Amino acid sequence: MADNPKPDSSESAIEVRQLRKEFGVLKAVDGISFDLKRGDFLSVFGPNGAGKTTLIKILTGLTRPSSGTARVAGYDVAEGVPEMRREIGVISHSPALYADLTSMENLVFFGKMYGLECPEEAALAVLEDVGLAPRRHDRVRTFSRGMLQRLSIARAILHDPSILFLDEPFTGLDIHASNVLKEHLKVLHNKKRTILMTTHDVSCGLEMCDKVALQVMGQFAFFEDIKDIDKENFETMYFDAVRNNQFTMGIRPH
Amino acid sequence: MNLFLSQISAIVWKDFVTELKTRELFSAMFIFALLVILIFIFSVNLSIVKASEVGPGILWVAFLFSGTIGLNRSFMLEKENGCLMGLLLAPADRTAIYFGKLISNFVFLTIMELFILPLFMIFFNIDLIEHLFPLLFVIFLGTLGFCALGTLLSSLASNLKTREIMLPILLYPLLVPVVIGVVRMTGQILAGEPLSEMMNWIGLTTSFDIIYIGVSIMTIDHILEE
Repeated sequence: MADNPKPDSSESAIEVRQLRKEFGVLKAVDGISFDLKRGDFLSVFGPNGAGKTTLIKILTGLTRPSSGTARVAGYDVAEGVPEMRREIGVISHSPALYADLTSMENLVFFGKMYGLECPEEAALAVLEDVGLAPRRHDRVRTFSRGMLQRLSIARAILHDPSILFLDEPFTGLDIHASNVLKEHLKVLHNKKRTILMTTHDVSCGLEMCDKVALQVMGQFAFFEDIKDIDKENFETMYFDAVRNNQFTMGIRPH
Repeated sequence: MNLFLSQISAIVWKDFVTELKTRELFSAMFIFALLVILIFIFSVNLSIVKASEVGPGILWVAFLFSGTIGLNRSFMLEKENGCLMGLLLAPADRTAIYFGKLISNFVFLTIMELFILPLFMIFFNIDLIEHLFPLLFVIFLGTLGFCALGTLLSSLASNLKTREIMLPILLYPLLVPVVIGVVRMTGQILAGEPLSEMMNWIGLTTSFDIIYIGVSIMTIDHILEE
């Protein structure tokens, strides 16, 4: 791994430079550049089809960029090295859990895939963290959407990753489940995990993050520290972007 | 245990626990294979044709067609709830995922074949006991080739909307050398010939098994990428 050294804790968690992903004529990600330091929480907003999920897929190594570079935890995502995947956890719309296995069996399986020394202990610990320990012997098929999302968090943090990617994690959750998820994210943020979250929930996204981005037509039209923005203006700008599915107030590339 | 091997065994363990709970894969494969044999037994007049001449073809049609159902189901299980994404996000070499699925598919199909063999023996009135070990060797070679190529192609087809149609279209033409080899060898074994008489067929089938596994190792990384 000489050309893919793991950085020390003072370095950036995520470095993205002129990242592009094209599917034929469609530019899903179009020249995005940004940096996140360790412990940062970035909320990415944007209308449907803006390329947010594609951005996360590139940063997690699930798909290769057409051009540009991205380094996550110091590793080049295009290399797709297993060491990088050990540093990240991902929560998306789909829970990535086997419906016919119990919650415990699911987590033990993923614990083995991550090479944890004692997967049973780690699984039980995270099940307790997300409040699902009493349901550890129940099949995942019987879980509600909120419970699935909590179990999905448990799967994502099972190996104690330093960087978390969340792709619209509040989709389909009721208020109680959203609040539970928010609490977990706050705890993870307090533990200095770097978090990149895409969401349509403006109040939720702005409440928790310390950096905000607005992605429109594959580009970051806006990227600022939370302390530098007027939340009401941002909300108006976001709703305009969603309504028009383009940035009507003028693209301001980062 | 080395991480690569423990990841393979974790995938096999997960598939076995799932199958023990649902019994979807085994029951579907077994019933289909049984139906194929029953249909043939009523369509072939065994007083005119020798069972040892038509039997090998019927046996392998039953194995391969029911095996295709198993392959389709195997990767559909990974696509449900985005589980494949979870697997791909784990720090596992893609070949560990391939070998885990290959071993699961191979063991499930072999168990189904072992249940079908006695029924085949009864329906076709063929004494398989005296040819059991050579026959098991040939079944091993054929099943390995089928699962090696089938696992690769089912992972490829799992991303397609028409996966149930695409898998057989892709699989059967590429599998022809192995199918010819195992059907010929099964016929020769049922005719009482020793394995030493069929070294050419053993060589051909083994070579294709190795080629399928080799090609899979080289391409699985790209095939599993979205």
